[in-house]
Amino acid sequence: MSRLAQHPVIEFVRGKKISFEFEGRKLGAFEGETVAAALHAEGIRYLRSSPGRQRAQGFFCAIGKCSSCLMEVDGMPNVRTCITLVRDGMVVRRQKGKGELLE
Amino acid sequence: MSCLSNPDLLVVGAGPAGLYAAIEAASAGLTTVIVDEGISAGGQLVKQTHKFFGNEDFFASVRGFDIARRLLKELSNMDHVHNLQESSVIGVYEDGIPVLHLPSDTTRLLQPERVIVATGASEKFLQFDNNDLPGVYGAGAVQTLMNQFGVMPGRNVLMVGSGNIGLIVSYQLIQAGVNVKAIVEIADRIGGYEVHANKAMRMGIPIMLRHTVIKAIGTESVEGAVICEVDENFRPVASTSQELAVDTICIAIGLNPSIELIAQAGGEVKYIPELGGYVPVRDDNMRSTAEAFFVAGDVSGIEEATTAMIEGRVAGLTVVKDLKGNTDLKKLESLKRELVAFRNGPTSARIREGLRKLGIVSSSKEHQYGNPNNPEKYMGKMRPVIECYEAIPCNPCETSCPTGAITVGENINDVPVIDYEKCNGCGICMTECPGLAVFMLRELPEEESALIGIPYELIPLPEKGEKVHLLGREGETLSDGVVQRVFKSPNKTHGVYVKAPAEIAGEVRGVSPVSKTDNTYVCRCEELTVQDVEKAINDGYTDFEELRRRLRISMGPCGGRTCRLNTLGMLSRKTGRPIEEFAPGVLRPPSIPATFRSIAGQEGAKDE
Amino acid sequence: MNKSASVVIVGGGIVGTAIAYYLTQKGMKDVVVLEKSYISSGATGRCAGGIRQQWSESSNVRLAMRSVRHFENFKKDLGADIEYIQGGYLLLAFDDEEEALFGKNVAMQRGEGLDVSILRKHEIQYRFPYILLDDVKLASFCPTDGHANPHLANFAYARAARENGARIYTRTRALGIDVTNGRIAGVETDRGHIQTGVVVNASGGFSHEVGHMAGVDIPTESFRHQIMVTEPVEHILDPMIISFSRNFYIRQTFSGNIMMGQGDEDDKPSFNHDPSWRFLTEMARKMPQLFPFLKNIRVLRHWAGLYNMSPDAQPIIDKAEKVSDYYCAVGFSGHGFMLAPAVGEGLADWIIHGEPQEVDLSNLGLDRFTGEVVRERNVV
Repeated sequence: MSRLAQHPVIEFVRGKKISFEFEGRKLGAFEGETVAAALHAEGIRYLRSSPGRQRAQGFFCAIGKCSSCLMEVDGMPNVRTCITLVRDGMVVRRQKGKGELLE
Repeated sequence: MSCLSNPDLLVVGAGPAGLYAAIEAASAGLTTVIVDEGISAGGQLVKQTHKFFGNEDFFASVRGFDIARRLLKELSNMDHVHNLQESSVIGVYEDGIPVLHLPSDTTRLLQPERVIVATGASEKFLQFDNNDLPGVYGAGAVQTLMNQFGVMPGRNVLMVGSGNIGLIVSYQLIQAGVNVKAIVEIADRIGGYEVHANKAMRMGIPIMLRHTVIKAIGTESVEGAVICEVDENFRPVASTSQELAVDTICIAIGLNPSIELIAQAGGEVKYIPELGGYVPVRDDNMRSTAEAFFVAGDVSGIEEATTAMIEGRVAGLTVVKDLKGNTDLKKLESLKRELVAFRNGPTSARIREGLRKLGIVSSSKEHQYGNPNNPEKYMGKMRPVIECYEAIPCNPCETSCPTGAITVGENINDVPVIDYEKCNGCGICMTECPGLAVFMLRELPEEESALIGIPYELIPLPEKGEKVHLLGREGETLSDGVVQRVFKSPNKTHGVYVKAPAEIAGEVRGVSPVSKTDNTYVCRCEELTVQDVEKAINDGYTDFEELRRRLRISMGPCGGRTCRLNTLGMLSRKTGRPIEEFAPGVLRPPSIPATFRSIAGQEGAKDE
Repeated sequence: MNKSASVVIVGGGIVGTAIAYYLTQKGMKDVVVLEKSYISSGATGRCAGGIRQQWSESSNVRLAMRSVRHFENFKKDLGADIEYIQGGYLLLAFDDEEEALFGKNVAMQRGEGLDVSILRKHEIQYRFPYILLDDVKLASFCPTDGHANPHLANFAYARAARENGARIYTRTRALGIDVTNGRIAGVETDRGHIQTGVVVNASGGFSHEVGHMAGVDIPTESFRHQIMVTEPVEHILDPMIISFSRNFYIRQTFSGNIMMGQGDEDDKPSFNHDPSWRFLTEMARKMPQLFPFLKNIRVLRHWAGLYNMSPDAQPIIDKAEKVSDYYCAVGFSGHGFMLAPAVGEGLADWIIHGEPQEVDLSNLGLDRFTGEVVRERNVV
């Protein structure tokens, strides 16, 4: 867990406590957090395995621009998890490769 | 709703520039739509926990997130304003400007009369081995995690780059309880303001000049970093390499203006390194060469939030003039003068040079250095010591002083001068100075010691009577001392007064609690390394457009934001031709990938 | 820059560089290519890269079949991987008229020796289960059709031509063609004058204008056509799939992007190659109805290029009558990429030997538009 409990300048107003699934594990999060931030708070930085060289990658820009945080969310591939809000019951998977369109 | 589909003005980006542009336009009665990608409006302001430089009219000494709150409050009281959050402009087309609403996955087509592009900038990417490992983060990402979501980016961080962003984020990391092992800076001098560097150094963060990162260590996440010295041509000297045990590498080497929409609108762009890379050509009213499109803020050149706000207002007022035939010209002219004044100091020399290349003349009159302190006569009186020797555009010390003892003067870039006769030793200037460069001092000759007031923004705030380490300007522990008084300020820059031996009174600039603990990618989308790019250049692909098509550089999901400038830089180095000679390549829409569903299912689609 | 050349080719797209390659391969020296922008900047770099032999006019079938043989040997002949995939072309028929036309075409194509067949609905369903076939009547399918990466093919021809001694000047614009007494004297460029007796107009979208430079009237007009690609996804589509009546084509690139386009029917002739939002919305509404898997995928990029249309939608490959040694390889009507190898070969022979030799270019002359025009129907 690496959420800041207190900060000298900022007061964090966190949303409702919710839970989501990552690779079969149930994780906690707060409403209003992005998927990437919620995963990071749980110590998960490795978000996808790159299509070409199968390298571990995480986010870089956190504003939806650099595309290195693409994950499979509720069955949809290539979701930019750094700008997608986590929802209760969401199923998040580490994306391997370019993303499958057909089951 | 017709005023939503056909507004007078579309403002893209709700950061400091966009919000102010919207305020000016809406208060003159223009129907205004603001489109912004963020979860909430404010842009980078939301993540900025430090107090702003500048003058009182422009939120000097107010923290970024508070500025955002105030601007939003002002906007919420206005009619004719629609704020579309979590929305992205897909592109600028001949038949309109579609906007994607991310949560509902729908689009809507806007046909505004005027557009102010205030899209800001994106992080520059740096080439080193394993630079795609999780844990290599842009400085903006680190700020987002830590300041917006309250999530620690890591435990031990290596900061790459000593510009203002690198320095400020380093300090913010310390505030969040993260250890910053070092700041590496490839140049032989610190890039940012001296006061920001001083803040970081007195936290004990070493700033290593002429150093760079050459490798990230780890397989699924960063477990370390290899840094080394560079030679006079900025090439790493392998024999000097050393390993740092860090779990995060924060890249703060600069920003890249987000010019896609202006380019799609047909506006001319020009490579001006002083302004951050390719920037739109524009006039001093912020109008681009595409008649109906304006720019404001970082997209028009990387600068700071204060100038972004003024540029936004200038653009907003000019749009009012375009559409209504008249505008508050007095205000417009005074804002333009204000911009010139802000850029009048030595720290803005690069900006002035960049603007000159755009044909925009900013006054080049050199600033006047003031004479900060001459305390001899006032020994024994509680008074401020202002360690502000570098001319930067800022004056809250002057405007916050209740007795009028501090003068910066006409040119906001001058350094402050204190009239100790008028000073009552209240310490407000210490808590207001955005650079944390004001300290309080009172000599106690009979005790051979001195009382020193230190601006303090960390938790826990030391309590009266607590024993603390007394830190020097580079974070070194000089001695131990006891907290005598804590002056709590509502703006959260508190004053901690400690007693120190007289001989080190002039050196103590910080305190810390006694218990204080302690593969090189160019393009990630296509997974192209430096070698891949160099090989293609060696194979004769020396036209950037051909190189792009050969390698698919900038054709991946990021749209070239990561790789474009770096590739141009490599091409320039390899061919010996300046970057200016290469075209930046086409910036094709969509600016953000959009689903078929969102494009097909349009909201507010016009009945044919 | 060269002061003189045996042949000056105007246009550095796939057609111009293929001609340069074959000319130099066949021993011609002093070949110059002028490209106003960069290699693959025009229609070549903007096209979908389809390589198809299923045409309604037999001369096109023959030309395309000859090109396919060249594409099959491309790697061996030019030493370059151009991401050539022979996944077939699936042409979908949606109504009785198309059903009848496809039957007629397939008979003709088989007569030309092409391996092509009609697929019934259940056969399509079995082989390509990801298509929603509700309104589909039948399809014709040719397994040796396919697609390649046009940039890489264009670069490969340019590179091979250079290695053979051709000079390719990019960022160099032809400004005028000097004609004296019906003979070509040289080409004026923005980087100087080149003396030459032979000019080839391979200028794609600008063929009419480059014809005009020498006083040759070429009946071509340019139209905007748009293309879009999705984010890369794992491989699912082998063939290129097209429909004339539903006005689309779709394929998956080697890197995984799904690429598709249509003809904008009411566009007027112009050099506009800006993309439009309307195109994107029409495609986004139309395509998922046939290809439901597109619902979960994002549009990454779209752009436009120029179709250089001739009156019968077939290329114009000819030598001008009024001006000696003025050749043109233009008016490809959207199919220049796939026909370029055969055209390059034939035109090179024509220039060197006075006739196209083994390549049949007989139906593609400038004089064919005087009487009744028989239009190639298999065009998107």
